[in-house]
Amino acid sequence: MATQLLTVSNLSAGTEDKPILHGVDLAVGAGECHVLMGPNGAGKSTLGHVIMGDPAYRVTSGSIEFDGADVTELSADKRSLAGIFLSYQAPVEVPGVPLYSFLRSICQMRPELKTTARKFRERVGAIADQLELDQGFLMRELNVGFSGGEKKKIEMLQLLLLQPKLAILDETDSGLDVDALGIVSRGIQAYREQVGGALIVITHNTRILERLEVDRTHVMVHGRMVAEGPAELIADIDRNGFERFEKCEDCGGCPMVGDAE
Amino acid sequence: MSDERKRTQVADVDRSLYDFTKSEEGYERYDDGLTPEIVRAISAKKDEPEWMLEMRLRALDLYHAREMAPNWGPSIEGLDLDHISTYVSPKTKQAKSWDDVPADIKDTFERLGIPEAERESLAGVGAQYDSEIVYHNMREEVAEQGVIYTTIEDALHDPQWEPVVHEYFGTLIPPTDHKFAALHYAVWSGGSFVYVPAGVTLPYPLQSYFRLNAAGAGQFEHTLIIVEPGADLHFIEGCSAPKYYEANLHAGAVELFVKDGARLRYSTIENWSKNMYNLNTKRATIGADAKMEWVSGSFGSHVSYLYPTTIMAGDRGTCEFTGITFAGATQDLDTGCKVIMNGADTTASVSTKSISKDGGVNTFRSSVVIGRHADRARCSVSCQSLMLDDISRSDTIPAMDVRNATAQVGHEATIGRISDDTVLYLMSRGCSEAEARTLVVNGFANPVSKELPMEYAVEMNNLIKLEMEGAIG
Amino acid sequence: MAEKDLAPELTLERVNVAPAQTWNRLRTNDITLTVPARGRKGDVYFSLPRLFEGVECGMGREVTDWVESQAKDARYVEVPRGEKREEPIVVAVGSGDVADTGVLVRAGAEATIVVAADAGEKDGEAGTSASLVRIIAEAGARVHLHEYVGVGAGQQHLESVGISAARDARVDVRQYLLGGGTVALGFACDLAGDHARVDLGCRYHAGGTEVLDINEIVRQHGRRTRSELSYNGVLEDAARKDLRTTIDLIHGAKGAQGNEAETVLVLGDDVVNKTLPTILCDEDDVAGNHGATIGSVSPEQLAYLADRGLSRADAERLFVRALYEDALMHAPCDEARAVVEAGAGTLLDEEA
Repeated sequence: MATQLLTVSNLSAGTEDKPILHGVDLAVGAGECHVLMGPNGAGKSTLGHVIMGDPAYRVTSGSIEFDGADVTELSADKRSLAGIFLSYQAPVEVPGVPLYSFLRSICQMRPELKTTARKFRERVGAIADQLELDQGFLMRELNVGFSGGEKKKIEMLQLLLLQPKLAILDETDSGLDVDALGIVSRGIQAYREQVGGALIVITHNTRILERLEVDRTHVMVHGRMVAEGPAELIADIDRNGFERFEKCEDCGGCPMVGDAE
Repeated sequence: MSDERKRTQVADVDRSLYDFTKSEEGYERYDDGLTPEIVRAISAKKDEPEWMLEMRLRALDLYHAREMAPNWGPSIEGLDLDHISTYVSPKTKQAKSWDDVPADIKDTFERLGIPEAERESLAGVGAQYDSEIVYHNMREEVAEQGVIYTTIEDALHDPQWEPVVHEYFGTLIPPTDHKFAALHYAVWSGGSFVYVPAGVTLPYPLQSYFRLNAAGAGQFEHTLIIVEPGADLHFIEGCSAPKYYEANLHAGAVELFVKDGARLRYSTIENWSKNMYNLNTKRATIGADAKMEWVSGSFGSHVSYLYPTTIMAGDRGTCEFTGITFAGATQDLDTGCKVIMNGADTTASVSTKSISKDGGVNTFRSSVVIGRHADRARCSVSCQSLMLDDISRSDTIPAMDVRNATAQVGHEATIGRISDDTVLYLMSRGCSEAEARTLVVNGFANPVSKELPMEYAVEMNNLIKLEMEGAIG
Repeated sequence: MAEKDLAPELTLERVNVAPAQTWNRLRTNDITLTVPARGRKGDVYFSLPRLFEGVECGMGREVTDWVESQAKDARYVEVPRGEKREEPIVVAVGSGDVADTGVLVRAGAEATIVVAADAGEKDGEAGTSASLVRIIAEAGARVHLHEYVGVGAGQQHLESVGISAARDARVDVRQYLLGGGTVALGFACDLAGDHARVDLGCRYHAGGTEVLDINEIVRQHGRRTRSELSYNGVLEDAARKDLRTTIDLIHGAKGAQGNEAETVLVLGDDVVNKTLPTILCDEDDVAGNHGATIGSVSPEQLAYLADRGLSRADAERLFVRALYEDALMHAPCDEARAVVEAGAGTLLDEEA
């Protein structure tokens, strides 16, 4: 059993006027690969954002522990420096800020990644090549005018640069063509191999999971964890969809299915 | 909760770079207020031609007769000319070497980095301290090409140039233009006269720096630049002042004559202290195939009225205006530009940014007038405003008057704040909230700063950083 | 003496004033109008319920006072709570008419209001008509306002509107300004309640030496209020147009959005086309946008249309006719249709 990296306990959270997550539990060990599935609107992205520390959501109960410390109250930047990474579904455009200077400054603020300008250039260049990302992109403004696929590659570039202990990939596969999907998959693969970090893949598409060795699968419906199981659960969902989980809604506390109990 | 989310909190800005004062002891300082006697005294001291004195006295009458428009613009109630000295001069002669400049004044300009910039990247420098130019120098090789860079006072004493000054001075901005133009002509002192002969391209910029050290005083420099056909000049203007509680006044005038096929780039970083009333007038007239480029950064002053104007008289002229205004606590900055397109096939593009914070007020005011004969004129205006908190204000008032059926005008304006998503995205990569906001603001200002000369771009980024650095983290 | 004077007049200085002004030298801040001022000694003044006094009107206080002094009657219409009123409330004015109308649309109710101003029977003669409409839309009310203005070349029309919209109220406005010697229109809408919204589409056409002066103000007080203003006009000959629009994002209007866009097609060499699109912003959590394009039919458009057999003149006609067709298509009642048909003249017959 790997050492515990992330422990989400009995977490309830929501926006100002709407509760979204209800008593969510999630445990991820160091280096493990977890998949979080569920229908649209189940609260998967919300969970990702709450783990990252998005102030748009308020935690009403429960806690988030990361790497042995309670991070429930920490701001997003502190969590980032502690080793959590969230890949955005729709990365935000920041006009006027060149990608290269951005990458340089987010690396320089981490003691373990601090390096000379020359070494940094080499490192970024190597990763960009690996992701088949034109190096000309590095001088362009952060995410401005990039296609969906290019934005995802830039998220992968940051993932490989920052080498976080935990990467949460929020629908990283959505809106990608087959080629881009392949490159992103290879990026995730490289992260697993080179960094050995843990992964939470949020998706409702099983394509991206084909190349991944998945340790655990979680199913979320209506803001509740309704099932947890081994990698095989993915194939089951692929065949049968989420319907049987959604039916549980009326019975209050949903029983765990699969081999959880 | 999201409404009350922490915004950029900012401590008082460390302005120590600009905010130091020097003793005025031993200076010549004329009485506060505005009388014909004071105007005569200024003129007599400068030993001016008779026409100049007449112009001054005429302007003084106009000043008393004119009123500010009652229906628009920031209040200038705190400005009382009875408590402003219109002429303060250090007891020193204009020097050609920094070694001949009095120590405390030299120290001032050194702290502002002027001599250093001169050595590295400028073709010539003029430095004004209160009412008089204390240093003026230009590189030999530039002088050899026939370029004149001097004070208007000196040009008036030169029989070759006095008729030229007489021909141009006060023709583009007449004393009748508005109340403070009239005031300017009554008491103007210092400034620059630049003449670039036909076909001459200056390899480096010329720079004039205006420092107002005296409390309760006014600065009224006049800049007159003539760029002859096919010539090319980049002129840089810098301004700063230490902070006092008494009101200071800046009412300069800049008249730019850009002849056929010539190009002039006029860059300004204005960082007056926050007790300054900046009622400055800048105007250019450009000939056929000529190009006028304005780059303007306004950070300081309590109240500003500033709208550099370009009159596009010739065909195929082009005008670019790039500006940024940053209004913080107690500042009410009414800035923008005017473009008058009279030539056919003229092109103008205006791009401005404003940042408002801590209760600061920004007003972007512009006018684009396309005359009857400006066939196929094209003009685009883009104006972006960034609000950093909910106690500040940002108004956009762009007027357009189009009188030619073949002209094309495009205008766009946006107002908004830094989105929470952007801040979170940057924080999720490890930036603190303050760093994230500074990054976004710098990115917002980037299109302007990259148009500035290097040392000014660095200065501007520093100013933004100073303004943004706050209590967070 | 005034009683003996058959046509006493009153000069209204500074009407249609934009809330934020600019250089007076541009002569774009306001308009001065001369209007008839009939003595009303002995008449009873009818007036709207006091409630309407607080509603800001686009042309300003002076015009409101003048209309109240000249209107023979003050018409008050109330649409009861929750009722969807099918029959439009029509205000028809011809030359010489002055109408003062107040409409209270109660919570959840829906109403259509039509102002139709035409030359009346005195076409070809000089004269002034005016309509003042004040509308209070309570929570969740829906208001559809149609304004059709087309008066004679020698005539003058004043059209002032004031609307106050409470929480969740929605206001749709269609303005068709189809000409007249002088047409001055002022529109003010206060989005007072949270989530209130106004959608305004204004289409105008002016030719000859017609003068068109428009002043539109949207005040966004409520949270998450929204305004969408769009202007689309054609100017010919020596027409003069002055369009002032103001989106006022007031402190506290968190999440408010205001958008404004203008497209002007200039077809005459002597046209004077002025625009003052102002955004006032006293709140950070808002989004304000403005866009304008002013120009003639582009060479690309002309080339394309030429390929389909249209000359430049044909192409220009096409743009003008499209405007009248649009007006006709959206006319909610006969009175509105009549304004379009009278204004279009032979333009619409070409097809027949």
